[in-house]
Amino acid sequence: MKLDDVEKAMLDGKYGRAAAWAIEFQKDVGTFFDAEDFVPIRLVHVSTDRETMGDSGIAFIEELGSLRPSERYPRAYATADFRGFDKENFSFLLPGRNLEVEVRQAVDALGKLGVVTNHAYVNDHSVTAPGFGEACGYSGTPSVIYMNSIVGARCNFEAGPSSLAAFFTGRVPRYGFHLDAKRFATHGFRLSFSPENIVDWGVVGALIGRELNSYWCVPALELTGPPPTVLELNHMALAMASYGSIAMFHVVNVTPEAPDWETAAGGKKLDVKTVDSNDVRMFYQEWGGIGDELDVVALSTPQLTVTEIIEIAALLDGKRVHERTTLLIYAPKEIKEACARIGLTQIIEKAGARMVHGHDFFATFAKEIRLAHKWDRLMTHSVKMVNICEGYGYQPTPASIQRCIQSAIAGKVIG
Amino acid sequence: MSLLEIKGHSGIGPTVNGIALSAPDDFSARYDLDRDRGIFSRPSHKLYGEEFVGRILVLNAAKGGVASAWMLHEMVEKAKAPLGLLLNDGNPVMAQGAAFAQIPFMDRFDVDITSAISTGDEIEIIPARGIVRILSRIKT
Repeated sequence: MKLDDVEKAMLDGKYGRAAAWAIEFQKDVGTFFDAEDFVPIRLVHVSTDRETMGDSGIAFIEELGSLRPSERYPRAYATADFRGFDKENFSFLLPGRNLEVEVRQAVDALGKLGVVTNHAYVNDHSVTAPGFGEACGYSGTPSVIYMNSIVGARCNFEAGPSSLAAFFTGRVPRYGFHLDAKRFATHGFRLSFSPENIVDWGVVGALIGRELNSYWCVPALELTGPPPTVLELNHMALAMASYGSIAMFHVVNVTPEAPDWETAAGGKKLDVKTVDSNDVRMFYQEWGGIGDELDVVALSTPQLTVTEIIEIAALLDGKRVHERTTLLIYAPKEIKEACARIGLTQIIEKAGARMVHGHDFFATFAKEIRLAHKWDRLMTHSVKMVNICEGYGYQPTPASIQRCIQSAIAGKVIG
Repeated sequence: MSLLEIKGHSGIGPTVNGIALSAPDDFSARYDLDRDRGIFSRPSHKLYGEEFVGRILVLNAAKGGVASAWMLHEMVEKAKAPLGLLLNDGNPVMAQGAAFAQIPFMDRFDVDITSAISTGDEIEIIPARGIVRILSRIKT
């Protein structure tokens, strides 16, 4: 990789030990992907759920924090969306673990470095988003695909330690989605039906992700029916990234780099594969579970917005969650408080459900939660969570919010 | 003396040799592993129930998102890590995780690496030169 004078000086330690570690790490990764040079960035998002970081990740951050400030000077703005810590609910979910102390450790360690730890979800633009075409160093899987596809910013997956490196150098290696040629669509899809809800959008993302199964593939999608909402696109994006490691997509005539097929594909003619409603139906069928006793419903991933919580409150109003089922509704702390101010939280809790703030269900020791509560059958409207929680030993069933709530009330998976 | 030499893109991490654990399936530390027990825990994974600690994983593509980067490091710290990782199709997360954890990692081979290497083969990875050598084949 070509290094400019500043980057060479970083490598020589003249910009402090943190920058020296960071630029060497980034040079290794950039060389692996044949990056020619670095691209400057201004915004960084650090993925920091406690389970993922592990004790060694915290120790690494604390070690950086123990350096003199001049040795760890930040060269970008960094945020980590912790989404608060919900003592009551996490004490219930994880009775054998003092998660409050563990999360506090992470918040303190990151804070000492100057990483802003807030409660809101970065895809909800809790931090002013990068501009169209702007390079950034985002870490969260859903954040990267969102920024590339929906905002039109430029980003690779800069996983935890990589985003920290970007924080100290103010740059990232220029490869992958920082390059014009890599952002063009490589595969075409056409939806022959109009998805009915956000879960259907997630299933479409899962089907395309499974089909392509490579970070380097960029699907473009032509729709039938009305344009999707940002939340629908976000569910599709999460699922594509989860099932296929996809980091960028286009929706023709919707997303900013796809005003038409030709522009989306960089002038190439793509074969276009049809995704129909039968494909979606088959996806639901493969997870099964109808009629099974239901242990837990987790509505999260991404955490919910006020509009979804309004829908849930309406479904629960005057009803009662079945005694064998735990209903968990995840929202960032500010959203939860906003819901309480307009009475939604009270309706939900009166029905026996739990409003949880803090990291997502799947990212907070979900296997330990399963073992602690002897849970097996899980329902969720997030097909990403379905994918992850299968590996943690759950038997997951994806379904619409409406079906999830009705099942929680019935205590079994209804069809 | 090696039985076969396979060329890939130059990789990350030190030279190692060890026993392969191979399958034509994909890989994520979050989605597929019980990282405490050191086994593949995803029922639908072709290596379900297999122990991976100290083995060189030979799999198809990097799967899922960013979690693997922190997790590979934690697995090394807890002595619950694979010895190395070979994928047909890597992604930035695996490269970043391997670089952070100093786990030998290579991808982009001139053959399907999951077909070329079988579980039980003794192999040597030389990431700096982009070479994998099969030192001995498992006897069937």
